[in-house]
Amino acid sequence: MAQFEKEIVQAVLIADNNVWNFKPLSDEGSTALLPLVNVSMLDYALIALNRSGVEEVFVYASLYLQEIRDHIKEGIATYASWSFKMTVHMIGGEGCRCFGDAMRDLDAKALIRRNFILMGADTVTNADLRPVLEQHKRMAKFDRGTAATLVLKECAINVRTGNELLIAVDKQNSRLHYHQRLRMNHKEPRYQIPLDIFLGNSCTALHHNLLDPQIAIGSPSMLSLFSDNFDFQTRDDFVRGLLINEELLDSRIYVALLPATQYAHKVNNWPAYQLVSRDIINRWAYPLVPDMGVLKLQQQYVFHKDNIYKSLEAHVSKVALRENVVIHAGSHVEAGTVIRDTVIGENCRIGRHCQLSNVFLMANVTIQDNCRLEHCVVGDRAVIEAECDVSAGCVVGANCVLPRKTKLAKTLVTSTPNTQRKTEQEQDYETVELEAIGPQAYIVSDITTGDPDDSEGEELLPQQTLCIPKMGDLMLPLDEISNFSDLSDISDDDEGSRAVTPLPDDTNIFLSEVIDSLSRGFRERSNPDFLILEINSSRYAYNMSLKEVNFNVVKAVFGMQHIVEPANNNVLAAIGAAFKQLGPVVSNYIKSEEAMLDCLKALEDVYEENPFVREKISQIVHYLYDKDFVSEDAIHAWYCQLGGEEHFQLRQSLVKLVDWLNQSSEEDDNDET
Amino acid sequence: MREQPLKEVTQLIHAIKVGLVEGSYGITNKTLDIFKYIIISKSWKNADALMQIVRAQCRILQAALPQETVTSNIARRILKLTREEFDLLHAKVQHFADDSQASLSLHKLVTQTSESNVSVDYSVPQQGLREALLDHLQEVETELETSSENICVQAEEHIHSSEIILTLGHSRSVENFLKRAIKKRQFLTIIVAECAPACRGHNLAASLAAEKNVEIIVIPDAAIFAMMSRVNKVIIGTHSVLANGGLRAACGAYTVALAAKHYSVPVIVLAPMYKLSPLHLCEQDAFNMVGCAEDVIPYDSIPAREAKVYSPMFDYVPPELVTLFISNTGGHAPSYVYRLLTELYHPEDLEI
Repeated sequence: MAQFEKEIVQAVLIADNNVWNFKPLSDEGSTALLPLVNVSMLDYALIALNRSGVEEVFVYASLYLQEIRDHIKEGIATYASWSFKMTVHMIGGEGCRCFGDAMRDLDAKALIRRNFILMGADTVTNADLRPVLEQHKRMAKFDRGTAATLVLKECAINVRTGNELLIAVDKQNSRLHYHQRLRMNHKEPRYQIPLDIFLGNSCTALHHNLLDPQIAIGSPSMLSLFSDNFDFQTRDDFVRGLLINEELLDSRIYVALLPATQYAHKVNNWPAYQLVSRDIINRWAYPLVPDMGVLKLQQQYVFHKDNIYKSLEAHVSKVALRENVVIHAGSHVEAGTVIRDTVIGENCRIGRHCQLSNVFLMANVTIQDNCRLEHCVVGDRAVIEAECDVSAGCVVGANCVLPRKTKLAKTLVTSTPNTQRKTEQEQDYETVELEAIGPQAYIVSDITTGDPDDSEGEELLPQQTLCIPKMGDLMLPLDEISNFSDLSDISDDDEGSRAVTPLPDDTNIFLSEVIDSLSRGFRERSNPDFLILEINSSRYAYNMSLKEVNFNVVKAVFGMQHIVEPANNNVLAAIGAAFKQLGPVVSNYIKSEEAMLDCLKALEDVYEENPFVREKISQIVHYLYDKDFVSEDAIHAWYCQLGGEEHFQLRQSLVKLVDWLNQSSEEDDNDET
Repeated sequence: MREQPLKEVTQLIHAIKVGLVEGSYGITNKTLDIFKYIIISKSWKNADALMQIVRAQCRILQAALPQETVTSNIARRILKLTREEFDLLHAKVQHFADDSQASLSLHKLVTQTSESNVSVDYSVPQQGLREALLDHLQEVETELETSSENICVQAEEHIHSSEIILTLGHSRSVENFLKRAIKKRQFLTIIVAECAPACRGHNLAASLAAEKNVEIIVIPDAAIFAMMSRVNKVIIGTHSVLANGGLRAACGAYTVALAAKHYSVPVIVLAPMYKLSPLHLCEQDAFNMVGCAEDVIPYDSIPAREAKVYSPMFDYVPPELVTLFISNTGGHAPSYVYRLLTELYHPEDLEI
């Protein structure tokens, strides 16, 4: 057996692990083949492995198996730099639905013989994993129960892409004790860490600024652990399961930190895609930069100042490219166009007087004259006709044709009139009809097509799981991205001792459960009675007083995802839709005058948090009044209570409404007399 | 039609990209091995076919590694060799053909080559060309192997006792050169500019410090000008020498050369013959290579979000700032480089 004479370094790449976040492009091809700065993500992962001295790679994919196989064949034929000294095998299973299934399948096939590198196909890194592998081997010699070593990287604390972790580690042997994924869009007001961690270990370090690039070193026992535990679906399940049943499974997980000079990031959603693209263009991932000929034998770009990478076969006047631009061979840019922070794929055509910033064009895209594109992704062969305005995280799928003068923001567009959606009850796919904006352009609503099984963030942030994260301005500090502070957030800062009482936490959990129930009810149009039942049971579970329930139900309605981030910024329409569906639930709680006052107080809270609501507060109050959720007296009482500096603006915006109410009531009085 | 790269060529490209083969000497050696392999094993019928193959593979190397000029330099050497050997054999055959004019052979050789320069038909099959080429290649290999040694030998001529020498970064030829000087001369002071951000100067300093009887001073790049007034000679290595005698050298070399000019300190550049390339600096953008941004500023720092970070690898040093080139064949002035180039390469091979 030749393999046993020399130790072969093996690696496993898991492709298509995060497909939902890349809708609608994930419907049209494997996300592993999605180009990132004109090189597909799978290639980055393979190159990273090759540079770490890996000799045998198993690429595991479930969807689009053939496409990936073709891509690998083509890579070998064109002398891709990973094809040297490394053999790549494709494995795939139709029945494979999650990461855990892939691991079980690998175990069944018995291909992995010793410690291996486990990576997502969407990881971009220039790290040398050899030292980490050595560390793992040393640890495995010392501790037979070593199941895996997670490779993590320190990161800045003010950017969140959904890959950040909070962990507790034994300082002496870097053993993992606690593992928690941080929220995507906003900071946690507090963390809960079990006391045992500190009681049981003398030397524990907490890291809250770690990034998980989805790299791990696995022992052969890792695979069998997956086989033994059928409930492990993701790697996080595995980590959690092992930490909880440490004694029972007799396995331990260790942690290795990459040195600061090495870059590693996972591209699991559009904001991360934008971030990593920028990092590659800015040469943080060196030598994985466009002008080093990462993939092909030939150098494809010439590096110009201001981080402009231009192919010699691209036809661009020099003025058009401002900064951070990659432009591939065969692309034409006409005069008068200004391009910045943009990646342009092969054979794209861009017309006159266009403005492109933070745009990612795949191959063969046509953009006609006078368009403005910002923070968006345009798929293969798409056509954007003249005078379009596409911005704020739009994704235009392959083959789409956007008709003239289309204005889009925060929208996903696909070229086929229906898309598939996973229903929650059965694991089947059902087709959903889509709203059309052109003969070859249909809007995909991410609320209806989001992944209900996305278990990664489910427990942490129920109200946000169903929305596909979109690109935006990366420079925004975290607090401005979303100010979704919890109810007790402000008071908590004032009195440090509040944390001792468990009450505020229950309120938070209750609130998030209500938000969860309501968003699901809204999405599925379920019977309001059931929702009331659900909320009531939550209420008793967390021992909420009636006042708190009233307050939180209203807050939850306004805390639903599509109101926090309304489509086209039209918050009124969103609220209208919400109350149309959930009205009976709200009116079930808001009956008495006192309850109405609670309701308005909740609105006051929402006013502070949601800028859209802030703008339209008087219309919203008027709407509630119109629909008889709140009475005139309640509004008056509330208005009178609003005093002091902090409510000055709110009073200001309500003055007109109250005046009008006064007038109309006077008129009423007059009519009566 | 596109040429297919040889397996050896692609492997070399990969090895250079990954960093398994480093330094111009290593790259030159490996490239020469590949061309030798081509001459031995490829089935070429005549000189023309061989030259085609060499050109094609050289183009591939050039497209993949535009910064590594030594690969094409070696290819040019091979092409020139082929032409020479072919001419020689051709002349011999003709010489045997008409014995009567044997006495005139020298005269004939001279006149013939000058006339037939244009019209030599390399596609005529020639007996013994392969063997002759291999013989000659052996010479080139030996020259390559001894080039570093030959440069070192000249150390005594240039470095004298109790001199202060300044160098920059870490060049292998400079290291050997200085080591030889340290052995022969006493009370030398060697100032090493660290050459940030890679700071390879530290390695050189550490290596030189192992020698006895020498004082090593490591300075940051910013102190180059301040230290220059005390320096007797600047000795640096280079990545390549351009056709006009200018240098493409490690970043910081221009600073050193300008400071040396200001204090009238001679700048000596160690450049083995294979670093001479018949290229001119015209396209600014493609000239340089930019390294990793991480070396300059940490990724997680806040200004890194907004900033554009450049870490260039090379500097262009114009020929007027260079006093002397020391190659394995001796010392040359920058203005003499063009002459060396015409000796080294055939004029028709300047464009590959």
